[in-house]
Amino acid sequence: MILILVLSLTYLTYLGGLGELPPNDVRLIAKNYLNLTYNPYVKSLWASSPEAVTAIVWDYRGLDTLFETVVFYGAVLAAITLFRKVAKEKDMLQSKGMSVVVKRATAIVTVAMLTVAFSTALHGHLTPGGGFQAGAIGAVAPLVMIVVFGKRYLEDRGLSYGRLLSLRNLALTGIGVTSIALFTYALIQGGFSFIFQNQGKSLSPYSFPSYTLDVPSGGILLFFNVFEFLAVLAGFTLVFLILLGSDELLSKEFEGGENGY
Amino acid sequence: MDYVDLIFAMMGLSALLSVVATALAIRSKDLLNAVIFSSVQSVAYALIYFLLLAPDIVLVYVAVSVGIYPLILILLIKKVGRYETKQNWEQLKGGDV
Repeated sequence: MILILVLSLTYLTYLGGLGELPPNDVRLIAKNYLNLTYNPYVKSLWASSPEAVTAIVWDYRGLDTLFETVVFYGAVLAAITLFRKVAKEKDMLQSKGMSVVVKRATAIVTVAMLTVAFSTALHGHLTPGGGFQAGAIGAVAPLVMIVVFGKRYLEDRGLSYGRLLSLRNLALTGIGVTSIALFTYALIQGGFSFIFQNQGKSLSPYSFPSYTLDVPSGGILLFFNVFEFLAVLAGFTLVFLILLGSDELLSKEFEGGENGY
Repeated sequence: MDYVDLIFAMMGLSALLSVVATALAIRSKDLLNAVIFSSVQSVAYALIYFLLLAPDIVLVYVAVSVGIYPLILILLIKKVGRYETKQNWEQLKGGDV
């Protein structure tokens, strides 16, 4: 039965149920974005970023991405709320971690992971990738470190709940401040600018710097990518720090559950 | 066979691989194996995304589906037991966990 379903769907797709594959023409909206993203001749509509995807994500459709970030923030907040009693405590178990060989190898690989994550964030407007991608890559580093070195080892060396939470809040504040920075600047200058404005529009001449030295810096995109990277990295690490606690610690959260809360 | 055909052949092969891996993940009684098969399926999907010229998706998909998601599942397996046996199942149904 399932086989027949799969085969018939495959056959339909093969016959062209999804249209011609690959499509021979680029759709009009895609054409517009590709034409305008890095087009210095139409400076009222460009994003000064050679990477069209990042330009759409953080410039043309910036508000959507802002709300996505807020949703992620809320999800992490909900996870922390479930474990609010134990979130601030250090783990009572002093895990020895894995063998010396694994520890040394992990220490080297972790540096590489964080470097790749950072370069993905900083090059978000030049090469594929961006803030969230960089954060997800970077979050694997603390995850592996917690497993290999033990949670208490990292907590004794300063990876604490409070610090991660403040880093996360700082990064989100950074996103907010960046989105109204140009607006405030224009207000002080006695002019007018949109919120979330990257490059100058026909109504407002103000714009973020589009070049650093002679490399296109994407203006607002660079700041957004870096702040998003920090927010996602801190958020994921917070959740891992709580989820990877020992059973003794996590069971404290559910003590006295029989008598109601 | 030109360039585009080659890309489509590779996409078809990785799609086939993902179907096999998914079937094995569902059938497997060893839950740790099931997680690994699920990661294999994710790698095949990442290759398809790459061939469809979506490198942005690949970057986040690989990190989440091969790094973060299996680890959280392995954490869960550590708490509930590695093998899916009839005995475990009846224990669960009886509410005696």
